Amino acid sequence: MMRAIPWQTGEICGPDSAKAITKAAQIERDIKKAKKPVLVIGSEALTQKHRKGTMVDYAIEFSKAAKIPIIATGNAIKAFLEKGFDEVSRMGAMELAFYLQDPEWTGPKGNGPFDLILVYGIPYYMQWTLLSAVMNFGDHMTAITLGRHYQPHAKWSFPNMKENRWHDELDEILKMVGGGK
Amino acid sequence: MKKRVRIKSDEATTGLGRFRGLEISIGELVDDDWDEPMGPTPMPGPTTLRSWDHKLLSRYQPSYMPYCQVCCLCTFGKCDLTGNKKGACGINMQAQQSRIVLAAANIGTSAHLAHARHLVDHLIDEYGPRAPLIQGPGTEIHAPITRLITGMRPRTLEDASAVLDYAESQLAHLLSATATGQEGHWMDFESKVFHAGMTDHLALEIGDLAQISTLDFPQADPEAPLVEAGFGNLDPEKATVLCIGHNIVPAAAVTDYITEKKLGNEIEVGGICCTAWDITRRDPNAKVVGPISWQLRFIRSGKADVIIVDEQCVRTNVVEEAQKVKAAVISTSDKAVMGLPDRSDDPVDEIIDDLVSGKIPGVYMSDHKKVGEIAAKVAIALKPKRKKKGILPSKAKIKKMAADCKKCMECVRACPNDQPVQEAVLAAQQGNFAPLEEIYHNCIGCARCESACPNDYLLHSWMVKAAEPSCDKEKFMVRTGRGAIQDTEIRRVGQPIVFGEIPGVIAHVGCANYPGGGEDVHHMMEEFASRRYIIVASGCAAMSAGQVLDEAGKSIYERRDGEFDAGMVVNVGSCVSNSHIAGAAIKIAAIFAKRNLRGNYEEIADYIYNRVGAVGISWGAMSQKAASIAAGFWRLGVPVIVGPHGSKYRRMLMGRADKEKDWLVWDARTGDRVSVAPGPEHLFYAAETVEECNVLTAKLCLRPNDTSKGRSIKLSHYIDVHEKYYGYFPDDVWTYIRRDSDIPITLKDKILGQMKENDWEERRIPDPTLLKRMIMSGGAD
Repeated sequence: MMRAIPWQTGEICGPDSAKAITKAAQIERDIKKAKKPVLVIGSEALTQKHRKGTMVDYAIEFSKAAKIPIIATGNAIKAFLEKGFDEVSRMGAMELAFYLQDPEWTGPKGNGPFDLILVYGIPYYMQWTLLSAVMNFGDHMTAITLGRHYQPHAKWSFPNMKENRWHDELDEILKMVGGGK
Repeated sequence: MKKRVRIKSDEATTGLGRFRGLEISIGELVDDDWDEPMGPTPMPGPTTLRSWDHKLLSRYQPSYMPYCQVCCLCTFGKCDLTGNKKGACGINMQAQQSRIVLAAANIGTSAHLAHARHLVDHLIDEYGPRAPLIQGPGTEIHAPITRLITGMRPRTLEDASAVLDYAESQLAHLLSATATGQEGHWMDFESKVFHAGMTDHLALEIGDLAQISTLDFPQADPEAPLVEAGFGNLDPEKATVLCIGHNIVPAAAVTDYITEKKLGNEIEVGGICCTAWDITRRDPNAKVVGPISWQLRFIRSGKADVIIVDEQCVRTNVVEEAQKVKAAVISTSDKAVMGLPDRSDDPVDEIIDDLVSGKIPGVYMSDHKKVGEIAAKVAIALKPKRKKKGILPSKAKIKKMAADCKKCMECVRACPNDQPVQEAVLAAQQGNFAPLEEIYHNCIGCARCESACPNDYLLHSWMVKAAEPSCDKEKFMVRTGRGAIQDTEIRRVGQPIVFGEIPGVIAHVGCANYPGGGEDVHHMMEEFASRRYIIVASGCAAMSAGQVLDEAGKSIYERRDGEFDAGMVVNVGSCVSNSHIAGAAIKIAAIFAKRNLRGNYEEIADYIYNRVGAVGISWGAMSQKAASIAAGFWRLGVPVIVGPHGSKYRRMLMGRADKEKDWLVWDARTGDRVSVAPGPEHLFYAAETVEECNVLTAKLCLRPNDTSKGRSIKLSHYIDVHEKYYGYFPDDVWTYIRRDSDIPITLKDKILGQMKENDWEERRIPDPTLLKRMIMSGGAD
């Protein structure tokens, strides 16, 4: 297996680090076995492109297909609402990092406690800190990051990927949860 | 008041004769003419205020986000702390994280404290131990932090020295707590973080008070002068001395020399970082070049002939960078000698010859008196020789070099802000320099992209070259630091702040590690100044705020006055001037509520926490010093927001809005336990975006003591910014409604609907306190 390295080169973390997703199928088991997953979408999703839309559009499609709720961080929620999608709540990334450590927290709309978070779109270095909180103090849940760059504090992360390949893998994951039709 | 006094002086002339290496210790002095009774905690030790800290920490729990999962601080380790493992000393992950936070707070405090010590010792040498401390007109309650913490009223420089003795002893205890086998529980590490922050504020206050009193700074002056700032304001026809850092003493030697020798037509002085504020406070003819992040770009532009570095926030490879442009470096602080030869005892002419000839790249001068003459003469002699030589390559050369880019993306991976550097380099290959210029405006000037580049491209210089035309036009006016807030100003605004009618006091402080350029600071300030919040500023943030000009070419400081009042923008000054922001909050308790300050920390912090809607923002917080300043505010009950890079402080202090039991206060009038809305909801928080910061700022100004009118005004702003930036009506408004009169009139229908949906019940507005002993009928904690 190829050795994944952090996108920002100084961001090494210690004995544990994320397994690299080289094929979408690798995370299928974790996604399918999760009883209460949640998508966490950061502010950079507004400008990150995916196919003809943005990563906000991807999140909406993913959420609808997999019936997974979305928590938008930063000011990302405005873009969801403007697209007429309202199955979304808002929390700060740092609030989320804190609340997720509580195994009894039921989420902003009471649809937790979450056992899986799928996350992207938070600035790399800030997403890294959120994932570190979950890795070290939220062992009741699994964290998968779907961003283009390797995040060592997740359980699963894409390695640093070429953009086209990343979009292909995202589409595969979408298909896996019943979307992309 | 009893206090120990120690006076040190390298050289002093007294009625008894001239002494070298003078050191006098006096057992105790007594301040008998102060009729304010002593409070319960004068000169608190590391555990004296522990119960107050624990009250805050049980409401605002640390949320740790470990940088790394090991401890490598002793030879037991490295110890793997993952998965509830303990280190060889017994420490667990939470305690280790809090230990690192304490280490950072100690580092920050030590930097400010050593700075203050140097200033006080130096000023005692210059002006004598009995030189009075003067904060300015209308500041009868001078040194409010010192009064609050130590129970002393420092009136002379020797008093200031005694206060620093206390602070130094506290820092030694706190530092020792981080040793292997000392403190072991996160709660006590965190309590000590607060103690470090409190000690830091003491050092800040003494440091600024000492320099304000003796160096002709504006003294609590809302009309402190507007001074020129920006690259474009430095006259290329003059020799230039650039001063970087925080300590005014060597920079003052230069401006004094220029004034004395009437060299103003030949030479000018510019500052970067807090020295810029302090030299312009002393001499408004000096220039503010810009914030900490502009060091490299200015040095490489070649505009500086001599670079003086003092202390804190100095680029540590400044000598190497100065060499590239043949500028001479004078290091002046024993904390930042920079590998230069100590020439303090050599004849001035010999030093000047060696610097002008280029025989040595720079000198270390501990004798600040010589620095002014050396810097001025060297700058004048070097100017025609250097011809403002910069190392910015031509665009043609950049285009040619860019053709060899390996497209490895290492520059992007090295960039803290993930800027598209490689894309910009590839555009430059085609002669398009616009992307490089755009990055310049977002660049924090760290040059990590250059270190990572396998072709050794000077990428930062390329950005500066691309932006050269706009750099040269970069001219703006900033109001230099005014120092303290007058008691009369506090008297005027104390009631509307405490009742919530002035919706909040927002302080923009700290460094320039911005996620997207300094203009964000201006936008945040303007958002709330236009809503009639009081805006306070200091340090690099205060500089960045001035960068944005309106259509008439005016900066925020020209558009808004410098009084401590609604809608104004108040620059208090440099890092050490942050003490006046804390001081203003403390003085509100003293002046408006007539609470005693003397040695009465807990009661005053409780007052501020429950009543004063103040929020600190450090959008570009970078340093350990920013951490210790923040920690001082936390202990006073003032919440702090940092930018997204602030998440790398690796610990937030967070409240749980969903847990009603976390938000109980005592009603001081009745002794009842009363549930209040979560306000302020968090004590330390990193916001992801400017928009999030703005919404949170409005929310964190809410306090349990708000009157109905005040609560209604604060909620109006919270709802408005929430809708503006998030696009929807906030769903937690009902939790902040205590009675119908809290509801903003124009939003009544919407809020009533929300209240009904959530089975809202009317609540009492208590006289809120976290301290049982403050209950009027008596109570004990």
